[in-house]
Amino acid sequence: MTVTRPSDLDGALAGLAEGGALARAGGTDLTACVAEGVLPGGPVVDLTGVAGMSGTDRRDDGSVRVGALTTVTELAEGPLLAGSYPALARTARGLATPQVRGTATLGGNLLQRNRCWYLRNPAFDCHQSGGSSCPARTGDHLYGVVVDQGPCVAPHPSSLAAALAAYDASIEVAGRGSSRSVPVAELYDGTDPTRDHVLDPAEVVVSVALPAPVPGERGAYLRATGRSRAEWPLVEVVVRLACEDRGSGPVASAAVAVGGVARTPLRLPGVEDALAGSVPGGGLSPAVVAALEGLADLCSPLPGTRYKVALLSSTVRAGLLRALGAEEG
Amino acid sequence: MDLEVNGSPSAAPAEGEETAAAYIRDRLGLTGTKTACGTGVCGACTVLVDGSPTVSCLLPADRLAGRSVTTVEGLGGSHPVQRAFAAHDGLQCGYCTPGFVVEAAAFTDAWRAEHGDVRPDREAIADALAGHLCRCGAYEGIFAAVAAACAGDFDGDPGQDPPRADAPDKVTGRARFTVDHTPRGCWEGVIVRSTVAHARVRSIDAGGARTQAEPGTAPVLVDLLGSDRTVRYAGQPIAAVAAPTAARARAAAEAVRVDYEVLPAALDPATALEPDAPVLYPTRAERRAAPTYAEGVALPSAWNGNLRGPFTLGWRGGTAVRRLRAAERSGDPRLVTREYTTSAQLHTALEPHACVADWDDGHLTLHVSTQAVSETADTVAGRWGLPRERVRVVTEYVGGGFGAKGILSTETVAAVELSRIAGAPVRVALTRAEELTDAGYRPATRTRVALLADQRGDLAAMSVDSHGYGGVSHGSMTAVLAALMYGRTPRRTRDYDVVTHHPPGSPFRAPGGPPMAFALEQAVDEMAERLGEDPLSLRRRWDGNTRRAALYEKVAALPLWTARPRGERTGRFRRGVGLAASNWLFIVSPRSQVELVVENGVIVVRSATQDIGTGIRTVLRDVVAERLGTPADALRVEIGDSASVHGAGATGSRSTNSMGPAAAEAADALRVALRERSDRVPAEGPVPEVGLKEALAAAEGVRVVGGRPLDRWERMSSLLAGGGDMAMGRGLIGGVHVMEVEVDTLLGRVRPRRCWAGIAAGRIYAERLARNQCEGAVVQGVGYALFEGRRDDPATGAVLTANMEDYRIPGPGDVPETEVYFHEEGFEHVPGGGVGLGEVSTVGVAAALANAVHDATGWRPTDLPIRPDRLLEGLR
Repeated sequence: MTVTRPSDLDGALAGLAEGGALARAGGTDLTACVAEGVLPGGPVVDLTGVAGMSGTDRRDDGSVRVGALTTVTELAEGPLLAGSYPALARTARGLATPQVRGTATLGGNLLQRNRCWYLRNPAFDCHQSGGSSCPARTGDHLYGVVVDQGPCVAPHPSSLAAALAAYDASIEVAGRGSSRSVPVAELYDGTDPTRDHVLDPAEVVVSVALPAPVPGERGAYLRATGRSRAEWPLVEVVVRLACEDRGSGPVASAAVAVGGVARTPLRLPGVEDALAGSVPGGGLSPAVVAALEGLADLCSPLPGTRYKVALLSSTVRAGLLRALGAEEG
Repeated sequence: MDLEVNGSPSAAPAEGEETAAAYIRDRLGLTGTKTACGTGVCGACTVLVDGSPTVSCLLPADRLAGRSVTTVEGLGGSHPVQRAFAAHDGLQCGYCTPGFVVEAAAFTDAWRAEHGDVRPDREAIADALAGHLCRCGAYEGIFAAVAAACAGDFDGDPGQDPPRADAPDKVTGRARFTVDHTPRGCWEGVIVRSTVAHARVRSIDAGGARTQAEPGTAPVLVDLLGSDRTVRYAGQPIAAVAAPTAARARAAAEAVRVDYEVLPAALDPATALEPDAPVLYPTRAERRAAPTYAEGVALPSAWNGNLRGPFTLGWRGGTAVRRLRAAERSGDPRLVTREYTTSAQLHTALEPHACVADWDDGHLTLHVSTQAVSETADTVAGRWGLPRERVRVVTEYVGGGFGAKGILSTETVAAVELSRIAGAPVRVALTRAEELTDAGYRPATRTRVALLADQRGDLAAMSVDSHGYGGVSHGSMTAVLAALMYGRTPRRTRDYDVVTHHPPGSPFRAPGGPPMAFALEQAVDEMAERLGEDPLSLRRRWDGNTRRAALYEKVAALPLWTARPRGERTGRFRRGVGLAASNWLFIVSPRSQVELVVENGVIVVRSATQDIGTGIRTVLRDVVAERLGTPADALRVEIGDSASVHGAGATGSRSTNSMGPAAAEAADALRVALRERSDRVPAEGPVPEVGLKEALAAAEGVRVVGGRPLDRWERMSSLLAGGGDMAMGRGLIGGVHVMEVEVDTLLGRVRPRRCWAGIAAGRIYAERLARNQCEGAVVQGVGYALFEGRRDDPATGAVLTANMEDYRIPGPGDVPETEVYFHEEGFEHVPGGGVGLGEVSTVGVAAALANAVHDATGWRPTDLPIRPDRLLEGLR
């Protein structure tokens, strides 16, 4: 396995144009995927030396550009993000382990492969590994989706994708001879069972563009797990509340995104709409409670994921209460 | 570009597939860095890269170029965190310790720079150490160590030896485990496993590997399949190959072709019992050869298809059944019946099963990760027809075992056979996926309990039926353990096995105990509720065990119990407190011996026993030092080598109570020998320093051997097993656990908050180490109760939880603050006064936790693990 270390984007894209080449950033997912046979070993294009893919800067229009090589720890602790995009920083703080957060990158997190125990077991073939079936759908899918979008039943693993969906962020993607901006929601296609994102292997995520911050935003991140830490979420929720009076007044607008439930992160517009007017420190309004109950209609559970119907609603509930500063005792 | 490792320049890694962990261990020989999960979950491989803790198993080696790396060896041994881990005993087997120490050192330095010498709370430490797992469960010591190091308590030399004799070697990475041993010219072996659950193997194409001993470096292959040429589970070893490098061995394994005649498989217990189900063992010869997961010999039982049993034990069983049936007919409210299930629990020792075998001129040397050095040497000599003195088994350190490393297993058989043909040493170490698939487990169970109380509220009848699900193996001893509880009122217990096409189970810390207690102790609580009585008071009336009575008395005054919440609890977070009794057998190794040899003026303490984290080095050192009244530094302990005298295996809670008295007897014999050479050695009491020096100088080369004296009053019961080295002593070992939990009724998570563990195992040999083991037993019990459960593909029988992300063991943030209390009386008839506590300390943990969940929520968890989905379903 050869490793090249281009210093600029053109070099990286040229390297990736070779068949079977693998782009590598932090390498935490890639290393495990190659070891587990999820990905075939191939020439590696190491992106860590590529200029222009690091750092966080604010642009004139108030938006913020975050380089794809930014580590999860930097997302969690960087003062600019923690102050202006609290839901993103909290999400970064809540995922994986300290060691992985210190190495894994924003771009890699968005493009990582799913955690299905069939995909990661060499004894099985599936849509993702060139097969024509989903052994998890007919087998043991305890951690599978509850919103069934297509043949594959593995939830999208990227917590940051859920957070970025809540921010309506867009992804700056470079390919050979072209670059484009993709809304984060369009980075994933839940009906395509063969891959976990829609980018071409020869494309690179260069950066993420966050719209200008909302003053006084209240943010929360929460995941439902069995253990207290270091566990993939059964269901996770990212909550952003734009409140009047610099955060102390009623909710003017809200964004709520969930992960662990579908092949893609999902926004919950019904809940978002119902949140308008909610007051920090107060409980959930009847409209919000009704919207939470309505989440069941969104669900199309598998036999083994029926528990996630209730858990989706309760995780969102807990996330909203946390964002409102009104956690139940 | 070169890199710097521990302050010295180092050649850049070659480009390739290699991880930083492999580079550090294999190329640089810095074996303090361990690998265990291979997927960044457990943290054992953590090193500092440019000062940041990094999991080196997920870091490509080429990424080290130009960086500065610090491994555990680079911390030097005197970092405050290393001193603190040793002083607070934040370790047991030591395999995860280097990773913890490296992370904790970085955290401590950063914490002190930011906060000053302030003690962080448990939550802050759990956050920092969230990427680490300790299977022994030494978390209490780790919390204390990190807090103390942050507070500056260990900036100087603490001035006294740590409680654990081998702690300095473990916190520095010097301790060498089997996987760290790579002799020159060592080949690597790989096991070829079945991809189907049930098949007749028509042929094995060696793929070019040779199967006969001949010179050369071509890969070799040995057949591991039995004479019936049948595979009965996916993952069953079929053959093994070896080659001079790991990559070539893997390629050779992939070249092997197995021609299967695939047969229908029984992949769940229900279908295995259907009339047309494929029968695993249709002939008597096959049934006799079927593997057992019983420790020692399985209980005798008859077979009926895939059902084995029942093995029935009781006392006036007919009366018990008559009373229970009558009560059921009449709808007696004092009848409590319920069915409970538990899941398969994987041992998940962080060091995998591993063996390096080396034949040399008819002599066989094995480095094995085993819990039973002497017994392994005996078994190997028998199996390969060698005189015992031509077999040498070496096991310096063992990275956890918990019962899975008690017998000769596949990796050793494969390494021995491969080495013979290869004409070179061969190492076989299981991958994590193999370890979690085919290295044994505590079988799943289904247990039905019926208890009947009479008018006075006394126990009138008990019946316990249990089915064990050990895949292709049998050996259930779950229900039978209930026969030993709650007096002698009429009772019947029946144990069954249902065999299926899944990997075999194996003994796991108190085999049968935790599932029995989970069922019985919840039934007792349910009865207390039915009778309107406090669960503690009911147990005090029913439980005739005098040692446990002393523990109940302590509980009655325990604020955790007396100040527990009462009445119905409401709100999202609900607290509850539960308790459960534990019971275990007292087992001894009658063949245990300890030899003392005077070498260069030092007393060398030797025996072919081994340390799997329990601390037997410390026990041997302390017993001899105390018996002679000598300072510990006049002694050196050398264990883990079968060239020495027979040592106890670390199974059945027997090493300390066997080796301790043998060491005492050896010390007494040495005193006699020294008195013959120096009149400054007194007949009893401490040997004065000058006298000792003089006597040892005159006694150079003197060797004495002590054995395990019999217990007072009686001979021990007949031998059970373990190479004829397990016997049952008199008296049952007792325990009581009180557990407090907080249940998040919204998200379905149970958080164990506090635990009191009362253990009645007689005199304690090494207090801090014993406490550590009991704390770890609580951790494993919490894992069993809340998180752990193997899951298999229903269609193929393949194990899905074959990695440590999906097989979930407790992390630092998941365990209760635990207080251990020892009741030290009641075993005065035993030499040394103490019995084993490794198993009794985990029996009732899950049961106490389940009772606490019921107390908090009113819902009784009948199925383990109590996952969020089950809890939420139960609370609906």
